[in-house]
Amino acid sequence: MQEVKKYNEVELIFLLKNRDQTAFAYLYDNYSAALLGVIYKMLENRELSEDVLQEAFIKIWNNFSNYDSEKGRLFTWMLNITRNLTIDTIRSKGYKKQSKIQNSENTVNNISDNAHTAESFDALGIRKHLSLLKNEQRNIIDLAYFGGLTQEEISKSLAIPLGTVKTRMRAAIIELRKVLTN
Amino acid sequence: MNKENIISSGLLELYALELSSPEETVEVEKALQHYPEIKQELEAIEMSLESYALAHSVEPSPFLKDNILSHISQPEQENIRHLSPVGSGSEKTRIYRIPSFLKFAAAAVFILLIGSIILNFSYYNKYQNTNNELQVAQEKIRQNDQANLAMSNQLNVVSDRNARPVVLNGTPHAPDAIAKIYWMKNTGEVYVDPTNLPAVPEGKQYQLWAIVDGKPVDGGMITTEKGIYHIQKMKSFGSAQAFAITLENAGGSATPTMDQLFVISKI
Repeated sequence: MQEVKKYNEVELIFLLKNRDQTAFAYLYDNYSAALLGVIYKMLENRELSEDVLQEAFIKIWNNFSNYDSEKGRLFTWMLNITRNLTIDTIRSKGYKKQSKIQNSENTVNNISDNAHTAESFDALGIRKHLSLLKNEQRNIIDLAYFGGLTQEEISKSLAIPLGTVKTRMRAAIIELRKVLTN
Repeated sequence: MNKENIISSGLLELYALELSSPEETVEVEKALQHYPEIKQELEAIEMSLESYALAHSVEPSPFLKDNILSHISQPEQENIRHLSPVGSGSEKTRIYRIPSFLKFAAAAVFILLIGSIILNFSYYNKYQNTNNELQVAQEKIRQNDQANLAMSNQLNVVSDRNARPVVLNGTPHAPDAIAKIYWMKNTGEVYVDPTNLPAVPEGKQYQLWAIVDGKPVDGGMITTEKGIYHIQKMKSFGSAQAFAITLENAGGSATPTMDQLFVISKI
């Protein structure tokens, strides 16, 4: 088996700032499935999700000089680019039409999509941990992560005061961190 | 907000999810620069969220990677597409901007063209002049050839072995006049040499007569060429007792005017 080169985050960022295409391929190999998972959670349309993923990676490559490691981790930056593109897609006219057609085929899609879902050891292990989260905690993380909602929208959606969104979110993520480190 | 408050408030969680307001974002970014603990806390939050995403991974179709990589490996094309208004604008000016060496070349070509036209015109004039001169020279040669031919014809007549020379002597009317006849014994052709006849007055012409059986018979009119007499062919006679030349009105007479008899011969 060919040895897969591994980069730490500092190396990866340095190489990508210098427009290293091998580093970019590494970035894709390591993060494309996680990003596609988020897109797919939001769009529930496989083909459209892959279109958005492609768009996202091209944007990540073209705008890499904008990334500032002082403001956050690389994945967070990539995730936010991806989520914003996905939200743009949801708000576009074409998506609404397509989602209606897609809904009638949902059952079929779900079966085939399961085959594509990454069953990597890591993902499996994390999912086991996540099952320890309370529904309430999962819910608020999902709304923020996959819902494309603002603080206000989350407060409305959960029928809680705006100020409570922060504390509820913090509690949920503290719990997430706990179950992940166990 | 102090650093403990920032951490405990849940602001970092919202920031990591890009759910913080613009003001909150500025506050967090400022705090990140000053407090390593805040940076550490943010990273822990981010890593947990990263794991959360990883748990929901969906493996993309295999071809997607190649699509993306081939897309980014054409940086020039990408740049042109992104900068198309600027790119196409500068391209246009590049198309219409003529390099200065080409301008010089164009000027040089133009000067050469003008020079060539002038030379052509001058050579054409020379050619025309030369052609005219050639035609004049050729005409002269043609005239000389004609003269040569005439002269050689005269010489042929004189030197022909069958030619019988007959001398016509001047009468008392014109004692200095003299004419010669070359009479071909084989063919009967008669040539006259009127070179030494006096010049004729206006409207008059010499006429040759042959005396056949005692009677004068018209032998033809003697012509001049540009006022000069040459040996010329007259009418032929098989037999004749004498030849005579009289001065007659131009065009000739049916009978000779006897008082204008200039030369006569006895055969």
